[in-house]
Amino acid sequence: MKNKLFEKYFVFSPYFWLVLFFFIPLAIIFKISISVSEWGMPPYQDIFLFDNGFKINTTFENYVYIFSDYYYIGSFVNSLILALISTFFCLLIGFPLAFYIATSNIRLRNILLVLVVIPFWSSFLLRVYAWKIILQNNGILNVILLNLGIISEPLQLLYNQYAVIMGIVYTYLPLMILPLYGYLNKFDLNLIEASKDLGLNRIKTFFKVILPLSVPGIVAGSLLVFIPVVGEFIIPEMLGGSDRLYYGKILWEEFFVNRNWPGASALAFSGIIILVLPIVIFQLLYSRWSQKNEI
Amino acid sequence: MDKNFLVIENISKSFGDNKVLENINLNISKSEFFGLLGSSGSGKTTLLRILGGFEKPDTGRVILDGTDITNLEPFDRPLNYMFQSYALFPHLNVFNNLAFGIKENFTQKEIEINVRNIAELLSIEDLLNRRIKQLSGGEQQRVALGRCLIKKPKLLLLDEPLAALDKKLRSKTQLELTTLQKKLKITFVFVTHDQEEAMSLSDRMAIMKNGLILECSSPEEIYENPKSLYTANFIGIANIIEIYKKDENFYSDDLGINFKLNKELKNTKTNILLRPEKIKIQSINNLKTSSFNSFSGEILEKSYLGSFTRYEIKIKNMIISVLDQNFNSSSNYNFPKGEKVICSWESESIKVLED
Repeated sequence: MKNKLFEKYFVFSPYFWLVLFFFIPLAIIFKISISVSEWGMPPYQDIFLFDNGFKINTTFENYVYIFSDYYYIGSFVNSLILALISTFFCLLIGFPLAFYIATSNIRLRNILLVLVVIPFWSSFLLRVYAWKIILQNNGILNVILLNLGIISEPLQLLYNQYAVIMGIVYTYLPLMILPLYGYLNKFDLNLIEASKDLGLNRIKTFFKVILPLSVPGIVAGSLLVFIPVVGEFIIPEMLGGSDRLYYGKILWEEFFVNRNWPGASALAFSGIIILVLPIVIFQLLYSRWSQKNEI
Repeated sequence: MDKNFLVIENISKSFGDNKVLENINLNISKSEFFGLLGSSGSGKTTLLRILGGFEKPDTGRVILDGTDITNLEPFDRPLNYMFQSYALFPHLNVFNNLAFGIKENFTQKEIEINVRNIAELLSIEDLLNRRIKQLSGGEQQRVALGRCLIKKPKLLLLDEPLAALDKKLRSKTQLELTTLQKKLKITFVFVTHDQEEAMSLSDRMAIMKNGLILECSSPEEIYENPKSLYTANFIGIANIIEIYKKDENFYSDDLGINFKLNKELKNTKTNILLRPEKIKIQSINNLKTSSFNSFSGEILEKSYLGSFTRYEIKIKNMIISVLDQNFNSSSNYNFPKGEKVICSWESESIKVLED
């Protein structure tokens, strides 16, 4: 009896977690986003006033403010584009790697998997900082290229959007490889042989058999990369320049530099809705589709 | 008939230090149903995979219908391979699985006609819209077969074609497979570890052990006149008796009786094979023991198998298996356990295993 009760709560524990660390904070953010801002601490007014009787003190002006200024929408669009490009490159590099790992023998496979995970053992900040050292004007890469005589003056490799994309692809690649590996690991290699036997060469076999059967892994890996990259703050801050503003940085500035908590909250809340809603719909449609196709 | 339709020439293959195939030579005729029989680790599947193009041999050549295909990729070979697991594509329905190999070279209309024809041949017309997971094992086997046959291959390779089916379905499918093969006249080469399957399907078969072909002949020849001890034991039930020359006849210490052979021996000592169904079993009251090719013993075990009864008969230091056809319909025809009986056989039934 006691065990049953424990099992019941144990099953629900992820939901407690979700409520505690996602829905409650989200509700607080929403509450702040509809508050009226003022100078003070905290920098917004309460939404329920009891001075002269009960009064609800809310406003949607913060939303009007961020949606009327392209500065905010533009940064969000930039972040979406950045996330799309980064996810694409992660997939391009991650898929062959995951496939190679999944199809190699068990000893090599374990070594390769450890190599994929090893970067996680060191600090994320250190790893991004290391790229700064590699890419800066008198950094390792420029010194090598100069000494080899390939270039005559240092290349500006750092502080632009390309450095940001590179840093993100580097950091998020394991998040693409691991779920892909999880699916490809179960892949029946006889299917590839069967396809070749039936007359399809390697490229056609890839598009007709391997790719369609990898869709669940591709979706899982892509979402795992795409969603956090949209809100990524540290990598654009450290490797990026002023050529492009990203959503994460704007959000941070709005909170901590401009101290416009209601505006920043409106921005954060809109971002979550714009990002999460389509993904939830997509997931629902996708799970229906995959059930129908039994992949 | 082209005797050298498929020629396997000096094929050897190693995986690391492990020699899987050693100098395999085989000639297979056009329209032949050829079986490769061996226990696991005998190299039979590796040989089939080399024919399919999934493994490259270290040495040797494979020639199909006059063309050297040794270095061709699987997708360039005019043959098809049916996998033991069937390897049907789970993301496609039955129609698209069948059409998979012909989609490129045909128009939509031709594809449809071809798929209908093959589905009719295999009686799976009603399954075309099903998904693979909705099929039974027997249905999957037909789809896998159809997916290969639709390409009209010169040669069809089958890896344990019946292993995944249950016993009843297996014997039915066995018959269908031979009928289909005779009708289509496509050369079939299949691999199996099941001797009954090999015997019932094959026109000719090769017995493999440790990467070598021990014997290659018709099932009848291999069963009746096996050349080696291994084959004799591997195929069917075998009574193996060691005999040596003693005066005019041969003598077995284990049985304590004389054997009369109708041929001369090279060695003075050899093994002989006596198949259990060649031994006649009679009540001890009817007959006196003859001085050779017969013995009296006690029934140790018996198992009633319907059309046959199998007896284990103890004589001196040995237990001999005897299969006795249940000729009479009376149920008390069988000899009871513990009864003394006389067993006898013809000289021609004794097969000498020279190796």
